[in-house]
Amino acid sequence: MPNPIKPEKSVITTCAYCGVGCGFKAETRGEKIVRMIPWKEGKANHGHSCIKGRFAYDYYNAPDRVLTPLIRSSINDPWKSVSWQEAFDYAASEFKRIQAKFGVKSIGAVSSSRCTNEEIFLTQKFARAVLGNNNIDNCARICHSPTQFGLTNTIGAGAASQHFDSILQADVIMVVGANPTEGHPVFGSMMKRRIREGAKLIVIDPRKTETVESAHCKADVHLAIRPGTNVAILDSIAHVIVREKLYNEAFVRARCEVKEFENWMALVGDDKYAPELIGPIANVDPADIRKVARMYAGGPNSTIYYGLGVTEHSQGSTGVMCLGNLGLSCGMLGREGVGVNPLRGQGNVQGGSCLGSWPHVFSGYRFVTDYATRSSFEAEWGVTLDAEPGLRLPNMLDAAVAGSFKGMYIMGEDPVQSDPNQHHVIAAMKSMECVVLHDLFLNETSKYAHVFFPGSSSLEKDGTFTNAERRVSRVRKVIEPLAGLQDWEITVKFMNAMGYNVSYSNPGEVLDEIARLSPNYSGMSFALIDRIGSAQWPCNVDAPEGTEVLHREKFPRANGLGTFMLTEYVPTSERTSDRYPLLLTTGRILTQYNVGTQTRRTPNSLWHPEDLLEINEQDAVACGVRDGDWVKMSSKFGQIELRARISERVNPGIVYTTFHHAKSKANAVTSDLSDWATNCPEYKVTAVDVVRINAPTEDASLDAERLEPAE
Amino acid sequence: MWHEVRGLKDDVDFGTPPRDGPPVALEIDGVMVTVPAGSSVMFAATKADRAIPKLCATDMLEAFGSCRVCLVEIEGRNGFPASCTTPVVEGMKVKTRSETLKRLRKGVLGLYLSDFPQSEIPDGWSEFHETLKAEGITSHPYGEAGANHFDAKVDDSNPYFLFDPTKCIVCSRCVRACAEVQGTFAITIDGRGFESKVVASQDQPFLQSECVSCGACVQACPSHALVEKSLFEGEYKHA
Repeated sequence: MPNPIKPEKSVITTCAYCGVGCGFKAETRGEKIVRMIPWKEGKANHGHSCIKGRFAYDYYNAPDRVLTPLIRSSINDPWKSVSWQEAFDYAASEFKRIQAKFGVKSIGAVSSSRCTNEEIFLTQKFARAVLGNNNIDNCARICHSPTQFGLTNTIGAGAASQHFDSILQADVIMVVGANPTEGHPVFGSMMKRRIREGAKLIVIDPRKTETVESAHCKADVHLAIRPGTNVAILDSIAHVIVREKLYNEAFVRARCEVKEFENWMALVGDDKYAPELIGPIANVDPADIRKVARMYAGGPNSTIYYGLGVTEHSQGSTGVMCLGNLGLSCGMLGREGVGVNPLRGQGNVQGGSCLGSWPHVFSGYRFVTDYATRSSFEAEWGVTLDAEPGLRLPNMLDAAVAGSFKGMYIMGEDPVQSDPNQHHVIAAMKSMECVVLHDLFLNETSKYAHVFFPGSSSLEKDGTFTNAERRVSRVRKVIEPLAGLQDWEITVKFMNAMGYNVSYSNPGEVLDEIARLSPNYSGMSFALIDRIGSAQWPCNVDAPEGTEVLHREKFPRANGLGTFMLTEYVPTSERTSDRYPLLLTTGRILTQYNVGTQTRRTPNSLWHPEDLLEINEQDAVACGVRDGDWVKMSSKFGQIELRARISERVNPGIVYTTFHHAKSKANAVTSDLSDWATNCPEYKVTAVDVVRINAPTEDASLDAERLEPAE
Repeated sequence: MWHEVRGLKDDVDFGTPPRDGPPVALEIDGVMVTVPAGSSVMFAATKADRAIPKLCATDMLEAFGSCRVCLVEIEGRNGFPASCTTPVVEGMKVKTRSETLKRLRKGVLGLYLSDFPQSEIPDGWSEFHETLKAEGITSHPYGEAGANHFDAKVDDSNPYFLFDPTKCIVCSRCVRACAEVQGTFAITIDGRGFESKVVASQDQPFLQSECVSCGACVQACPSHALVEKSLFEGEYKHA
């Protein structure tokens, strides 16, 4: 076999992993995918890729993929394989029974950012039009809900202001609580390209990430803050900007609410935010805070990219507002090379956010309480819709424990593994009478489910994803769905079984419905995307091929002006004590993806076979821990066991781990505090204690064995 | 700056990255073509539908000028400049095909073949194989008796791709892709002249090196020396 075998066919589609949303050519021979080649015309990736999208696609073929629908009447019973129709009928009859007994609002739905826009839209339609309530939430709740809230309240749109390519015009790049070279590798490569050309780099992150220093890429300033002091440090940067008059007054006068600007100046200009006072709180040199402020305000083009290190805090929304305020005050919005940009973790977090998978808003963030908006949906859907906002996912779980919430349709999510305070989530799951799980694999949550719909991977279906730069790209079916139905078909058939009559001949018709009902998507269609490759919303009559840079003329607020929010620093109540002397923060690495459902079923696990606890040498000595030792990490909420790695990446007092492996159960220790505005959990700060142990206790690896990939 | 990434086309390899300077008009084999200033002669020729054979050039990477397959004749200039590293000039007259050029290219390709196993030539579909076909080279001009790298060990440490140094033509596309596109700088050329070889980190197996498996080098490789394992059935061995 001297030469490789040539693929026969290729289909252009969009990667389902992170928020970069790379375009790929999926090459096949027969019904087998033999190669994924990055698409040179992909506007997010320009022919580049990372290990996940390029190579880790084979999970779709994993031996434990579930290929038939499963049902059982009790979670103690074994699963029974049934036909699709039986599964739909059973789930529908259970949901109807529960609603008859416990009320219309006793059931809800959760969609995932790994689903397509069309599936997310159908799932919220399922909740609103079929279940008749607004109990619909999505996993952006636990990652970027503060982005929507914080940015909407300052610059008017809860989305990235720029397209990725904008970074190639930036002079100063400020990365806050994000690690693009691992979490968003293709964007990280573009960022490094710009840094090699001479752009300055500021990193605000407790950990010395690869972004801080790697080959030919070194941060000019790294503020290695104590976890939980984001708002303090950002207010202090603002303090310097205000006191040294580094703000862009002309921009503020022309584009912002001046009175709010003055109120904000009064707050952050107060002595209490002076770098000399905040420095010791955040554990950074005051001179570095001043340096960052001058560098950012000096531009001429300064841009901000941020991640979950900003949002997953009790002041997550405040942190996002701080960034919005900074951008506005220095006039770093509305043109290329600047902006305030969230780096979205999952492929379709932006789509999940903007297509109404929220208990209080329809697509485009329009309130369910608004009569006119509701009427437009009622007219399209032919039903009367509930005017009362529904329950958020954490509230659904609380209500389940309290006994008033009895059923849930979960699409592509594993709340037991990924949501905070695992014990509480399990208690909630156990108290429900019918949990319908729609996924590729049995997972931690399926242990508590009654119906399992075997879904289709992104390689087996049609639809669209919206990436972190608001870009809507096509997902195209490369191979036939292994379990027989595409995900959107499953949801539609479930709606039908519930007695709601609707049919679509393809998901393009769902996108058309989205376009009819959502101003930002009004110009989107399969035809448009097929013609121009991809389009960024807003896409409408004014911008028929989409919009790359937002806020050029005005901000999407009633008066067209940006505004400043008051961002008082309130320390989290989660703090270290004699009992829990270290602060735990969490993150991701390159080769694994979130809870690992996909990547752990690929050889990517060679690079990251287990989650490790990174600990500074000083703390390690204090705890008697050597490199590679097993340790028990405990917090107020729970305890886990994993191995330690002595690392210079974390400062003394801080420990860090990833949450990719079910067996390490990182979320069993994370705190149950959450963002004041959006309930986004505070994953990034938990006070913990670390103790060396001889070996892991038996059960630590028990459950996980089943989930590890067969190699 | 954006043109380097935004002007790329899926089905065309312009050879060097697109640019966005003011228009420059020139003549390629008698065909008038206008391209942005800063473009290479190779880029202009591709635009003029007079694509020039190449091995070390590809439009996702800056020009390197090492393979000497893309030589052209330019009116008023001496010698045979490499079209990838020669920027366009207003009014330039370029000849991409002639008996002399054909002979030169054949000579260069023959030298590459002298260190490329004969058994790996049939059925190949890499850029190198396609270039040989396009230039009408079917035989192995020097035989296999001379010094070669046919015994070099295959590095199959990475689960997704392998590196077969026997098929490597040392064009540095992988090295440049790792640096320019990915920004990891994990690959380099070790040694000089005939001893030159592609190595990861400090001559380590790929899996143990700084390589992050982004695949940019595999995509850039013109000779399937770096190649996806998924394209093979069964064990990898030479014919």
